Amino acid sequence: MSGRGVIVRGRDLQADVKLEVDAVVVGTGAGGSIAARELARAGLSVVALEEGGHHTAADFTQREDEMLPMLFADGGGRTTKDLAIRVLQGRGVGGSTVHNTNLCKRTPDAILELWRQRYNVSGCAPADMRAAFEQIEKDLSVSEIPAALRNPNNDALRRGAVALGWKSGPLKHNRVGCQTSGFCELGCAYDAKQNALKVVVPQAIEAGATVYADVEVVRVNHARGRVTGVSAIARSDSGSPRAWVDVRSKIVVLAASAIGSAVLAKKSGITDPHDQIGKKLRIHPGAVVAGRFDRVMNSQYGIPQSYECTEHLDFEEGSDKRVWIVPAFAHPIGTASTLPGFGASHMKAMRAYGQLAVLTAMVHDETEGRVEVGEGERPLITYEMTEADRRQLAKGLIACARLLFAGGAVEVTIPAIPPVTLTSASELDSLSTDFVRPHGVPLTAVHPMGTMRMGDDPKTSVVSSTGEHHFVQGLFVADGSLFPTSLGGPPQISIYSFAHHLAPHAIARAKS
Amino acid sequence: MSRRAVLAGLGSALLVTGSAVAILRTRGYEVSEERRASLVVLAPWQLVVLEHIAARIAAPDDATDKSIPSAYDVDVAGFVDRYCAGMHALLRRDLLRLLGFIEHMAPLAIKKTARFTHLVDADQDRVLAWMESNDQGLMRGAFASIKALVFMGYYRDPRTWKVMGYAGPFVKRPVGGWQ
Repeated sequence: MSGRGVIVRGRDLQADVKLEVDAVVVGTGAGGSIAARELARAGLSVVALEEGGHHTAADFTQREDEMLPMLFADGGGRTTKDLAIRVLQGRGVGGSTVHNTNLCKRTPDAILELWRQRYNVSGCAPADMRAAFEQIEKDLSVSEIPAALRNPNNDALRRGAVALGWKSGPLKHNRVGCQTSGFCELGCAYDAKQNALKVVVPQAIEAGATVYADVEVVRVNHARGRVTGVSAIARSDSGSPRAWVDVRSKIVVLAASAIGSAVLAKKSGITDPHDQIGKKLRIHPGAVVAGRFDRVMNSQYGIPQSYECTEHLDFEEGSDKRVWIVPAFAHPIGTASTLPGFGASHMKAMRAYGQLAVLTAMVHDETEGRVEVGEGERPLITYEMTEADRRQLAKGLIACARLLFAGGAVEVTIPAIPPVTLTSASELDSLSTDFVRPHGVPLTAVHPMGTMRMGDDPKTSVVSSTGEHHFVQGLFVADGSLFPTSLGGPPQISIYSFAHHLAPHAIARAKS
Repeated sequence: MSRRAVLAGLGSALLVTGSAVAILRTRGYEVSEERRASLVVLAPWQLVVLEHIAARIAAPDDATDKSIPSAYDVDVAGFVDRYCAGMHALLRRDLLRLLGFIEHMAPLAIKKTARFTHLVDADQDRVLAWMESNDQGLMRGAFASIKALVFMGYYRDPRTWKVMGYAGPFVKRPVGGWQ
């Protein structure tokens, strides 16, 4: 493909489309955008297919009721099979990088070493990955969030951690020109996010890639151990089928998330002799704790997450410290859904909205969930938290409560059923944590990982350490599915960087 | 007759009876012609059930404060009807089944045989509280889902933002702020 590519909206297609290219990329989030860019920069003809729409800053209205259906899979209503965990995933050009809160942390060295030693991952040790991390951080203009931009919610976390003497610190982000409006999770109306949508997809197009939005890939086609392309459906605004899109190619890169990629591989009948695809799903399940202060906080304004507490987090397998704590304030609809109860008591709690600070405890999980093809070929996510992970979550919620009290909260609520309301930290010493059971506290997961794991042993992994499937030549993975374990932190830099690090293997395969 | 045949016969009889009851019990809901014509996904009886659920879930903490809009005022049910249109068909199916369950079956949990929509407010609250704190995880999950939908319909309206002192979005903000 020569010259600049374009973005085509599937909803505008008037007829079926047949394409023949060197490589097709499924998904345009962190992993897919980088894969498309690198393949195109190598001179290959590239098409990237995105199930969701193409939206830009002008479309982001900062309204939850409008943005949730636009930017999230299943309108933000995706859950695990038992409805116990809400799984938030992006949908649209740019994927989850459009709605995430721009946290930038490299894959911890300890995790990379663990993958090398325990999971037979080669070529991805800390020294091997350094160049990719540096390049991605440069591409995305990553910088530390200045203390001056720390909002009251984040400052409450800092005060609490300092008072308790707990390990904590500022976070890095990929924003330039941030207006500190606080609406990051609904897309940036000011185009300050240096994400896949704003930075990497345009670079891929500049290099010659063509991006199709509104196009859902329904099958990866393969024969005799090689991929031959994909079959996809372009959908109209209302979701009804509009045209077929068939792409023939010798390289297919799956980058549709640990949920989407695994489901697509399974329904395409990708060879899986050791029953590995869709297994060992990790999601960083998290729950929140709200602290009420005796003054106005207005936590909805400012950068939502600029400070973290890592006192209860290390990266040893089986560790008793597997909780990552960050602020997690939401806008009215998100807050209302999370606060316990309903009716008059709920509205009374909502009146304190402006005085709240909210923290979340996310578990660096060891639970092994799975993704299957459910009714109507939809993802069926099974995730039953282990007792060990449940204890970690309980420990994390207690830690959040301690931080809030130490940060100045006069009342702390854990939105369990029934709600746990405390007025002093001393009450935490004898608090039973039986409420941490399925549906006992509202759980949310925003980081699916691990369903098509990398590694050199085909019996315990799906793709090799080059990202190529063990048994289907030309099929690559470039998203969070690759990770053999949970990361214990925000995954976007890891996903961008692994896609960048592994792209040369896909390029070499395409040119071979 | 084998045990299996007896069970099959019993199952069929229950299905037929249940279907007849369900058909009969979807009548008697008052919805204006104009309102009926505006519905996208919900049947009129489902709209009424949803209106009742929304009225309780988003009930005000001060019934005398007329500045607090009700779930009817902000048309939560109408919003959910339109929102359902964009849902995947399977999710929509599950939601509609849930409405039927709440209307016809859930009141039995508090020993009431009347429809949910015929219960007094306090009994409707008892039914919803039973769902929220149910031993069955799926029931709690179902309640959380409908609660989330109702609050999306309620707190999307700028009139409700005053309750919590929320100033609303910056983009497209009307002169003088959101009213």
